[in-house]
Amino acid sequence: MKFGTKNYIVILYFLAGLVLIFSISTFLYQYIAAVGSFSAVLGAFGNSRILTALGLSLLSAFATAALAIIFGVPLAYVLTMKEFKGKLLVETLAVDVPQTFPPIAEGMIFLLMLGPNSPLHVNLASTFTALVIAKFFISAPFVVSFTTRRFREIKQTGMNLTARSLGANPFLVFTTIFIPLSFKDIGAGVSLCWSRAMGELGGSLLFASVIPYQTEIIPTFIATQAKTLTIEALAATILVTTASTLAIISFKKLT
Amino acid sequence: MKGLSLKNIEAGYSDRSIIKDLSLDVGQTETLVLMGPSGSGKSTLLLTILGILTPKKGTITLNDKDITNVPIEERNIGYLPQDYGLFPHLNVMDNVAYGLAVRGKSKEDQEAMAKEMLSLVELMGFEKRRIQELSGGQKQRVGLARALAIKPHLLLLDEPLSNIDQVTKVDVASELRKLFSKLEIPKILVTHNHEDALFLSEKLAIMIDGKIEQAGELNKVIKFPKTPFIKKLLMPFNQ
Repeated sequence: MKFGTKNYIVILYFLAGLVLIFSISTFLYQYIAAVGSFSAVLGAFGNSRILTALGLSLLSAFATAALAIIFGVPLAYVLTMKEFKGKLLVETLAVDVPQTFPPIAEGMIFLLMLGPNSPLHVNLASTFTALVIAKFFISAPFVVSFTTRRFREIKQTGMNLTARSLGANPFLVFTTIFIPLSFKDIGAGVSLCWSRAMGELGGSLLFASVIPYQTEIIPTFIATQAKTLTIEALAATILVTTASTLAIISFKKLT
Repeated sequence: MKGLSLKNIEAGYSDRSIIKDLSLDVGQTETLVLMGPSGSGKSTLLLTILGILTPKKGTITLNDKDITNVPIEERNIGYLPQDYGLFPHLNVMDNVAYGLAVRGKSKEDQEAMAKEMLSLVELMGFEKRRIQELSGGQKQRVGLARALAIKPHLLLLDEPLSNIDQVTKVDVASELRKLFSKLEIPKILVTHNHEDALFLSEKLAIMIDGKIEQAGELNKVIKFPKTPFIKKLLMPFNQ
C-alpha cells in the first residue's frame, strides 16, 4: 500500500498523543503513587513541619502576588505610555529576562547583594523577606507582561485620549479606563505569578535557606527531604502541584 | 474673535512636520468640513487642535483664549473619533456622564445632563443599555451625546459617518445636520466622503500636504477650484 500524503496526518496525531500522555501521566502519577501508601500520605498532610511549610509557601506567594500588583501595574502603565531611549532593553531586562532567569543564579545574586556581606549593609538572608524577594523577582514579571499587553491594546484604541478630551487627567484615565478594562488580564497575570511563586525553588533555597518552621517552604522541603522522608515529600508535592493547578485553571477561566 | 483660530501652525511627530504653516478660522456657529487626500494631515490637524500633539510653531486660539499649550483635559473640546471611542465597560448613561463624573459633578447633575443629551440625540430609554447592544448609528449618537455633555467650546468629528451602513446613513446624516443647527459652537469634521460633506457642511477646506490649499463656502469651492488637483479631488461633487 502506498502511504499517501494525507495519511501523514496520522503521524501528527501520534506525536501529539505521545506528548499528551507524557505530560498528563507525569502530573497524575503523584496521585497514583500516593494511592499505594494512602494512609501514610494522609498522615503526612497533618505533619506540623509540612503544614508550616505550606503556610509559609502560601503566605509568601500571596505577599508576592500583592506586591506584584502594587508595583507591576504602575510599571505596565509606564512601559505603555512612556517612550524613551533604551526602552526595549529596559523592558527586556525587567520583564522578559527574570521569567527565564535560572532561579539558583538569582538566589546567588541576592545572597551577594542583600546577604551577610551586602555592600548595602542589610542582611536579609534566611528571612521571610528573602523568600518574598526571591519569589517576586521571577514571578512579578507575569503581572507586568499581561498588564502591559492589555494596556497597549487599550492605548491602541485611543480610548485614553477620548477620556482625556472629556476632562479626565492621566491618573483618572488610569483608574477609570485602563484598570477596569484590564481586570481580567491583571487577574490572569496574578494567578500565573502566584502559581510561579508557589513553585519557586532555587532563589529561596539559596537566599532564604531551609530553616524548618522559619523559611522552609514546600519546594525547599521537597528538595531537601525527597530521599529521606519520601512519603512526606510526596504529600508536600501533591499540595503544591494541586494548588498551582487550581491557580492555572482559574487563569484559563479568566482568559 | 469668537470661534477657533489657527495661526501659522506647524505640527507633526518627532522630527517630521506634517502640518506646515497652516492658518484657519472657524466661526462661532460654523460647520467646516475638512477634506483632502490620504496623508494630507487632516487627522494630525484634529489631534493638534484637540491637544494630543503640541504644535512646534504657531498659536491656537479658542474664543479669544490661547490654548496652544493648554493640556487636552482642560481644553473643553468635544471629540468624536472615527470608531466613536465608547467605553465598553460602561453603559450608555455612564458613557454620556463620563465627562461630568471626572469633573466631580454630583450624581444627580450627571444623570440630569446625560438624560438631556440623550434626549437631544433621540436616545431616551437607552440609559441602561450596554454599548455592545447598540447599532453603528446609535453608537455614533451616544458618542455625540457624550462629547456634548461637557458643554464643549468646539466639536471635532473624525469621519462621523464612515461606520454607518448606506441604508441608514441618510437618516443619521439628517439627524446630525439637525443637531448641528442647534449647536452654537464651531464644528470641524473630517471626511473622505463627498456626499457626507455636501450634506453636513456649509464651509469646506481642502487640505493638501499639510496646508489649507483652499477654504470657503462649500458651493464656491466646488465651482471655482483653485488648482487642477483640487478640481480633480472635487470631481465627485459635480457628478
